[in-house]
Amino acid sequence: MPSPTCYLLLNPACSCRSYQRPGLLLPAAPTPRRRVHVYCDAQRRGSSGGGGGGVKREAIPAGAGKAKKQVVFFDAAPPLSQRSGGGGEDGEVAGKKENAALGLVRRVTKRTLSLLSNLPLAISEMFAIAALMALGTVIDQGEAPSYYFEKFPEDNPVFGFITWRWILTPGFDHMFSSPVFLGLLALLATSLMACTYTTQIPIVKVARRWSFMHSAGSIRKQEFADSLPRASIQDLGVILMGYGYEVFTKGPSLYAFKGLAGRFAPIGVHIAMLFIMAGATLSATGSFKGSVDVPQGLNFVIGDVMKPKGFLSFAPDVFNTEVHVNRFFMEYYDSGEVSQFYSDLSLFDLDGKEVMRKTIKVNDPLRYGGFTIYQTDWGFSALQVKKNGEGPFNLAMAPLKLNGDKKLFGTLLPLENSGSSNVKGISMLARDLQSIVLYDQEGKFVGVRRPSSKLPIEIDGNEIVIEDAIGSTGLDLKTDPGVPIVYAGFGALMLTTCISYLSHSQIWALQDGSTVVVGGKTNRAKLEFSEEMNRLLDKVPELISVNENTIDSKQSAA
Amino acid sequence: MLFATLEHILTHISFSTISIVITIHLITLLVRELGGLRDSSEKGMIATFFSITGFLVSRWASSGHFPLSNLYESLIFLSWALYILHMIPTIQNSKNDLSTITTPSTILTQGFATSGLLTEMHQSTILVPALQSQWLMMHVSMMLLSYATLLCGSLLSAALLIIRFRKNLDFFSKKKKNVLSKTFFFNEIEYFYAKRSALKSTLFPSFPNYYKYQLIERLDSWSYRVISLGFTLLTIGILCGAVWANEAWGSYWNWDPKETWAFITWTIFAIYLHSRTNPNWKGTKSAFVASIGFLIIWICYFGINLLGIGLHSYGSFTLPI
Repeated sequence: MPSPTCYLLLNPACSCRSYQRPGLLLPAAPTPRRRVHVYCDAQRRGSSGGGGGGVKREAIPAGAGKAKKQVVFFDAAPPLSQRSGGGGEDGEVAGKKENAALGLVRRVTKRTLSLLSNLPLAISEMFAIAALMALGTVIDQGEAPSYYFEKFPEDNPVFGFITWRWILTPGFDHMFSSPVFLGLLALLATSLMACTYTTQIPIVKVARRWSFMHSAGSIRKQEFADSLPRASIQDLGVILMGYGYEVFTKGPSLYAFKGLAGRFAPIGVHIAMLFIMAGATLSATGSFKGSVDVPQGLNFVIGDVMKPKGFLSFAPDVFNTEVHVNRFFMEYYDSGEVSQFYSDLSLFDLDGKEVMRKTIKVNDPLRYGGFTIYQTDWGFSALQVKKNGEGPFNLAMAPLKLNGDKKLFGTLLPLENSGSSNVKGISMLARDLQSIVLYDQEGKFVGVRRPSSKLPIEIDGNEIVIEDAIGSTGLDLKTDPGVPIVYAGFGALMLTTCISYLSHSQIWALQDGSTVVVGGKTNRAKLEFSEEMNRLLDKVPELISVNENTIDSKQSAA
Repeated sequence: MLFATLEHILTHISFSTISIVITIHLITLLVRELGGLRDSSEKGMIATFFSITGFLVSRWASSGHFPLSNLYESLIFLSWALYILHMIPTIQNSKNDLSTITTPSTILTQGFATSGLLTEMHQSTILVPALQSQWLMMHVSMMLLSYATLLCGSLLSAALLIIRFRKNLDFFSKKKKNVLSKTFFFNEIEYFYAKRSALKSTLFPSFPNYYKYQLIERLDSWSYRVISLGFTLLTIGILCGAVWANEAWGSYWNWDPKETWAFITWTIFAIYLHSRTNPNWKGTKSAFVASIGFLIIWICYFGINLLGIGLHSYGSFTLPI
């Protein structure tokens, strides 16, 4: 393995882009870059055992140099195109139409891949997605069409040109499910895949190979270079090891690296993103959702509440499960504000056997057999009232105000001739389950009672006792087959972005007489690297009286 | 009451200390000879750090929950995070340009938090049911740490742009200088000093551009490292938020405005990191992207709260006009 070539392979500036700009690469540094081509081919052929019929790959520099030859460093698309282009004429593969077709398909694939892994394209996709998302927060989402007709009228356009057509035609009234937005996300996903395949993986393959440099000149060309007079490469190696480097020596040359994981991690980032996207797609197509408002003491069947969200939503058997709300209650702060909602739920299977019981609250849902029940809302279902010792009557509470943090519920206890048109009675209002405010027939405030106190109150000659306040719990239910995949993606993304912070540093050194020539480079932390190198080289001991023999003996010992 | 007084005292101590630190910074920048003052400015930063920490701890003790439930507390936490950021390179004992960004940023956030604008928010509030989770600590602290880090990184990039285009500064000064004048001012002076001292010591006065180049390289490198760190923290913060949302709201992603803008921020800095892989775009072009990111973070952090829309309405406030 020719080492200088290896070094050059270690050089690719980084992800997506060096491959799209051969214009810069070829004229600027023709010889070394060409070697990259050749080397890669050789390597590829060696590893794949000639699979894919890579003939005449050596012809890249000339042929590819003239043609478009974008991208394609390591995947050798130009030779392929050459082969299929020239093959038909030469008669080499004449008659083998299948082969030609195959070649065409492969060529198209390569072209598409190279187009997709183009960095400017990926960046403009990200910009477009960011812009659409911003637009999605500016335009009110999910309103009725009439809302947009009114807000973006045709005769008086916003900014002089934006009418409702601009909003409704591309579906920007529901931005995050509009075909434009989803299409861009899908495009980004393909770009991710293409970039990983054509750019990231080859870079890592190259970075993994460690190699020595045999000429002081190429070492001095590194981003960081220094020479240590009267030093020994073995001492340097030991010190490098102390700093966490993997060190290899062969004869007078040394190669050391650390943080190789930092090269792998970006691939992991891309794969994790793909996982998240795949999981989100599955969530969007294969999940069920439902929400239900159940008064305390009643039951419902899961399957009645759940509505499928996409064409992949198949109802599992557990949808026969029946949920019984044993109790709904709230806890309050001293100031009277709600601190937490609780619902005591029991699950019964088809045979009526209780399979699970749990008290859920906000931030603590119930999970059973693939579905999840969340505590999300509450309501006031009914008031149990005794009038003059009769009853108790159940009075249904009606929500009077739903929006905002503060809710308001009210009911009316009719007094006499309930058949007549203008019914008068006692009004009862409540903001929560704790206290009920009572008003008399004229609408005058009478008093406040707590359901727990059982304290009677006298209104218009009637003795009213509030026995109990029955709340209803607002539950959200869902099944989401995408969650495990999305979570796997989340975990991988966190891990790999952290690892991506690591910098892959490489150091080469060469014993040149009594002098050690050191060079190194790193892909991320450039300032820290040169500082670390300076600190590290300061520690290399200076050999006061050395002659060539001692060094030689050391080398042979190594 | 005791806690309230304590918090009051601590905010005042930290604010006045950091004002002194800023003054010292200015003096040392203008009068190089007073080297001893530099040490005292570091001591001042440490004093500020302890008083902010003390403030947060007393808030925690008095309210019984992690002190990140409203905008005021989050701003205080932001300046605390900026301080942490200020300390990291100092511990590593490497010379850096971060302190020129972090010190004024700390005073600005703190000044804004304690100013009369948000007085009604100074009270510690109770936690609504949705916030009662261990995830609060993880998600919100990560988000604020990442905001602080990304703000510093993008300011470094903006400083790079200013220095790079110093000749046509008029163009920029109109647009951005009013927002960032303070930090730029520092960097400008730092730069002039670097240049002047370099000119004194070298015999080749024909190389002024070399020092400019070196400073730009340094700023570029620092902003890249700082933004990478902030991006990592932002990723963790957003994902923790998503997991939490799946526990509390029933879906890991709701396209809530705050979420969406956090994602936009993430995308912008992802673009920054990708643009750096192109040697041609490194430097100026990527610095442009990072400077856009600066504005986006403020929209995400403040703009959404100002509108008070969506599910993240806990930190919302109204301007008393």
